[in-house]
Amino acid sequence: MELQLGLALPNHNNPSAGNGVGFKSRKDAANKRSFQEAFGNYKIRDELQMMPLLLWSGPPDEEDDDRKGQKKRNSCNNINKNEEEGEELVVGWPPIQSWRKKSLLHGQHPQQGQVGRRVSKFVKVKMEGVGIARKINLSLYNSFETLANSLIHMFATYQKSEKRGVRYTLTYQDKEGDWLIAGDVPWQTFIESVQRLEILRCGAVESRP
Amino acid sequence: MESESKRKKESPNTAELAVTASFPDEVLEIVLSLLTSHRDRSSVSLVCKDWYRAERWSRTQVFIGNCYSVSPEILTRRFPNIRSVTLKGKPRFSDFNLVPPNWGADIHAWLVAFAAKYPFLEELRLKRMAVSDESLEFLASNFPNFKLLSLLSCDGFSTDGLAAIATHCKNLTELDIQENGIEDSSGSWLSCFPESFTSLEVLNFANLTSEVNTDALERLVSRCKSLKVLKVNKSISLEQLQRLLVRAPQLEELGTGSFLQDLTARPYADLESAFNNCKNIHTLSGLWEAVPLYLPALYNSCANLTFLNLSYTALQSGEFAKLVVHCPRLRRLWILDTVEDKGLEAVGSNCPLLEELRVFPADPFDEEIIHGVTEEGFVAVSFGCRRLHYVLYFCRQMTNAAVATIVQNCPNFTHFRLCIMTPGLPDYLTNEPMDEAFGAVVKTCSKLQRLSVSGLLTDLTFEYIGKYAKNLETLSVAFAGRSDRGMQCVLEGCPKLRKLEIRDCPFGNEALLSGLEKYESMRSLWMSACNVTMNACRRLAKQMPRLNVEVMKEDGSDDSQADKVYIYRTVAGPRRDAPPSVLTL
Repeated sequence: MELQLGLALPNHNNPSAGNGVGFKSRKDAANKRSFQEAFGNYKIRDELQMMPLLLWSGPPDEEDDDRKGQKKRNSCNNINKNEEEGEELVVGWPPIQSWRKKSLLHGQHPQQGQVGRRVSKFVKVKMEGVGIARKINLSLYNSFETLANSLIHMFATYQKSEKRGVRYTLTYQDKEGDWLIAGDVPWQTFIESVQRLEILRCGAVESRP
Repeated sequence: MESESKRKKESPNTAELAVTASFPDEVLEIVLSLLTSHRDRSSVSLVCKDWYRAERWSRTQVFIGNCYSVSPEILTRRFPNIRSVTLKGKPRFSDFNLVPPNWGADIHAWLVAFAAKYPFLEELRLKRMAVSDESLEFLASNFPNFKLLSLLSCDGFSTDGLAAIATHCKNLTELDIQENGIEDSSGSWLSCFPESFTSLEVLNFANLTSEVNTDALERLVSRCKSLKVLKVNKSISLEQLQRLLVRAPQLEELGTGSFLQDLTARPYADLESAFNNCKNIHTLSGLWEAVPLYLPALYNSCANLTFLNLSYTALQSGEFAKLVVHCPRLRRLWILDTVEDKGLEAVGSNCPLLEELRVFPADPFDEEIIHGVTEEGFVAVSFGCRRLHYVLYFCRQMTNAAVATIVQNCPNFTHFRLCIMTPGLPDYLTNEPMDEAFGAVVKTCSKLQRLSVSGLLTDLTFEYIGKYAKNLETLSVAFAGRSDRGMQCVLEGCPKLRKLEIRDCPFGNEALLSGLEKYESMRSLWMSACNVTMNACRRLAKQMPRLNVEVMKEDGSDDSQADKVYIYRTVAGPRRDAPPSVLTL
């Protein structure tokens, strides 16, 4: 599925603040050795005006490959060779202690082989057109309806600027990497195979009855 | 005292002699033994020879902030009667993998010296030290009065070492294993406490992962009637926790195990009742994988809580808000940023006594922006919690105006650690550097002792720090500053500076060398990924013999660059146990 998502602007006036600078800085910091090379003669206002919006294309798993590819190009600063999700691009940054990092990683993965315990399942949720992803614990829900209601509340703020009557479809990526529409399979099957969620706009704007 | 001063006025010289002669050493020692603060004791020892002598004989506790600043021989020679030792080893950035492995800070040589000179040693508190199983076994076998072992951020040992402690330390009152790089092979160490052993008051194994024998744990808890602190690990279920609580209603600090289990009505009621029965709990932590369903079991216990540590629990704002309503007496709160700004608003509304807040990121390394906390949450807390003086705050955006408001509401900050997670990020509303934010902090918070800065910062931030932060002792800087001037301002301006740690900043030789005399009044300086050269380090080492200048080289880096520099004052001379990657100049 070919998706083209623009990096959406956070809900405030200055379009080139925050995200653009952040991403550029972080990638430079990862590629270069010293601060001088990373930020060098960084003119604050001029460069920010010229910052283009980032464009991602393709389903999210390609983004992961990009990330990994970038890490292979890094030559300095003992980039963490940890294969698990959420690796740091710059060694020791943000400054989180190693044992705390380990706890965070262990917390996200379902426990195995423990009788009588419901398993936490945190998955990432993105909405088309919104740059900010969220994470939810699927084990807290028991049906598509409760899940959808919760997501509507969560993403309500990002819909204020939209015209009325825009409809959304909830899609998910399963274990095989395929993107499917949520609701087609029973809840239990869905819970077991879902890896991440995405809310897409569907079709033309329809007027509400 | 009055009569003494009258005598002084009449005939000063003879009266003074009379006063000092009639004050025997034993009395002085008794008086001095009441002094516990190590800074007071240092001052006392500088008064005169008599006082130095009395102080060294009466001192029973010693705190060593950098294990290489002094040697075991020097320590044991000066203080003959030590019962309690606190030692800190590696530089703090080792917590973030910036220090090479096998760097040093091995406890063993110290233990050997203590076995000879302090056979009655009772307490050992170690932070960032290398501790082997062999050392733990040595400790367990050579100190019959040993009572307290606390290991924080240490590494090199396994659960076998803990087994030795449990087996041999008959008088143990405290075993506190926090957050270490431990090889956790099995939980059988807990079963090594003999059945006759009853003295335990503190047991913390929260950060170990292996399952322990729950029967053994239950029996241990039952027979240790003085147990006040119990922090179990994730392997302990809610049902098991309930059984432990029933056996230890006197507990004051509790770390639960996993808070996730399918409990039917009866076990849930039992759990709630067990919590209600523990009327003295003021500190609560653990709560791994807490599902909102079972949190109400805690509500009654929360009324007396002063410290709540939810930093391992990914609670969302709604369920967290419901919990925090029940915690009006909270003084210290550690949480994950999954509670978001709404959760922090609830804190501001419900916790007027809050003094310390730490907000940790749940997804620090995810490239796509995951919603966490913003400046709004922090501001909300500052309006509701005017006694706030310690904050550690990880966020993805911040503004100068927000920080100005925060410190206006809470001018009593002693520890202000703000981590804007993207390096070099400006004020997201104005696009300006975050200089004015930290300027506001140092101008308003005159009691500031510790500061961590982040975001896009020019030299102006450091000018402000040098000019206003007169009580600053610890400063952490990353991805900030424009020129050597920044670092120079700090070195020249902060009289009480003890620890300075800098990474990825454009500070070079001029800055480094401007602090020559300053470093002798500090504990240590760390500079990594800056613009410092080997030659400058050599010059520094040559001119300042009482400093150790150590450089850690990285593979494939330019020979003339000093990648990582660690400088500290010492009376023990250059160390001899450095690995090959660490050069002592």
